[in-house]
Amino acid sequence: MLKTERRVMVQARDIVKLYGRFKALDQVSLTIHEGEKIVIIGPSGSGKSTLLRSINRLEEIDAGTMIVNGMDLYNPKTDLTRVREEVGMVFQSFNLFPHKSVLENLTLAQIVVRKRSKDDALEKAKKLLAKVGLSDKANAYPGKLSGGQQQRVAIARSLAMDPKIMLFDEPTSALDPEMIGEVLDVMKDLANEGMTMAVVTHEMGFAREVADRVVFMDNGAVVEEGTPEHFFTNPDHPRAKQFLSQIL
Amino acid sequence: MAHIDKTKSIADVGDGAAIPIKSDRGLFTAWRIAFVGAIGTLAFLSFYKPDPYLNIIKFVPDGIVVTFKVTVGAILLASIIGLITGLGRISSNRLFNGAASLYVEVIRGIPLLVQIFYIYYALGRIVKIPDLLSAIIAMAVCYGAYMGEVFRAGIQSIPKGQMEAAMSLGMTRGQAMRHVILPQAFKVVLPPVGNEFIALLKDSSLVSILAVADLLRRGREFASESFTYFETYTVIALIYLIITLFFSKLIGIMEERINAEN
Repeated sequence: MLKTERRVMVQARDIVKLYGRFKALDQVSLTIHEGEKIVIIGPSGSGKSTLLRSINRLEEIDAGTMIVNGMDLYNPKTDLTRVREEVGMVFQSFNLFPHKSVLENLTLAQIVVRKRSKDDALEKAKKLLAKVGLSDKANAYPGKLSGGQQQRVAIARSLAMDPKIMLFDEPTSALDPEMIGEVLDVMKDLANEGMTMAVVTHEMGFAREVADRVVFMDNGAVVEEGTPEHFFTNPDHPRAKQFLSQIL
Repeated sequence: MAHIDKTKSIADVGDGAAIPIKSDRGLFTAWRIAFVGAIGTLAFLSFYKPDPYLNIIKFVPDGIVVTFKVTVGAILLASIIGLITGLGRISSNRLFNGAASLYVEVIRGIPLLVQIFYIYYALGRIVKIPDLLSAIIAMAVCYGAYMGEVFRAGIQSIPKGQMEAAMSLGMTRGQAMRHVILPQAFKVVLPPVGNEFIALLKDSSLVSILAVADLLRRGREFASESFTYFETYTVIALIYLIITLFFSKLIGIMEERINAEN
């Protein structure tokens, strides 16, 4: 259940995003509290990824306000890099740095952005690799890893920055079916540790199990928002009913 | 795979000697025939008819050194100019972008020989610098524009997700460029830069019209004193051919290694 006394991590208000004349996001508002796990679902093209990517301003919005970790993303005085170092992001296509070893992938931003010493960064990296079960791959290059392993490294790379919130943009969509489980397991562990998470996914089992709140989007708008029990058993909106009948 | 294909397409930008690839058996054999043939012809001529051939060969090595000085100096300087130009061409800063684009347009629209004359004499009016250095600068300014396009293509061949991942980790655009994009782009541009190197090596013969004693100029000096024009230019052409073929092979091997790594 929502705990209103919790700190607000993300406050999106009336977000509009245009691609030419097409409204990818049409006055979307969303609030994420500290420690909360929300799962955003909806048909493709509904604006889920666009909304997620606007949270760390990888996507520029055309109207509305976006306040993350107390900082207004569109205030000219806001240092965007200070916002982003607190917001971890995991991509569908992993986006590991192919010219760097797994360990270097995990230490680079710690050293360059967080200004940690090399030893501290390495220690942290090794700890996180153990956590995602890839200690034996520390010196491998991303190209030698399976998709599931690469995604686990990508999660560890984000966690190395000690983010206050983690964004997942369809993290398992590019994976072979047998590798989806290992990535979801890492995400579930993270959820159990209390990480604030916003996840765009088609994995309904994950949504049901992990989400505090399910956000259903269609045509660039949030049409239904509620607990997983409510959403999966008795959604109000006809579009949500239709979507569920198609995928379940 | 898409990564490698992009490498290939920007390798076409240059106009150096054809780079032999292992899979291309015909070209490989052609390379061998040309290389061995050129060395063989040179050796045969200087043995069979030492006067004037051996005399020419003894006269021109100074020029080879100068040709290399011009080529290496110009390629290094052109790479720096090219990197800055390439970054400018993709920059969202209008002034930087505009300046880089203007530079490329102007340089590409003027014949290389005219540019060399122009930059050489323009520089001579402003500062007093050695002829060799101003020749290097002239070549580098010309080639910097072409190198700029090579770097631009190289940087743009790196998937967008790399910049996004770096920025999502809190890196600035500059940090992401330096630590993530450029190291990958350098690998991509290495073969086309090698191609530019060969093209520059050949075009460096143009500086012989300035007071720079490169390989061609040394040949001209020898020929005008001995009146052995045909013989001298035969030797000069063969030496250029041998050097160019040698480097094209080297670049071919380098490119294969890079592709194997990917």
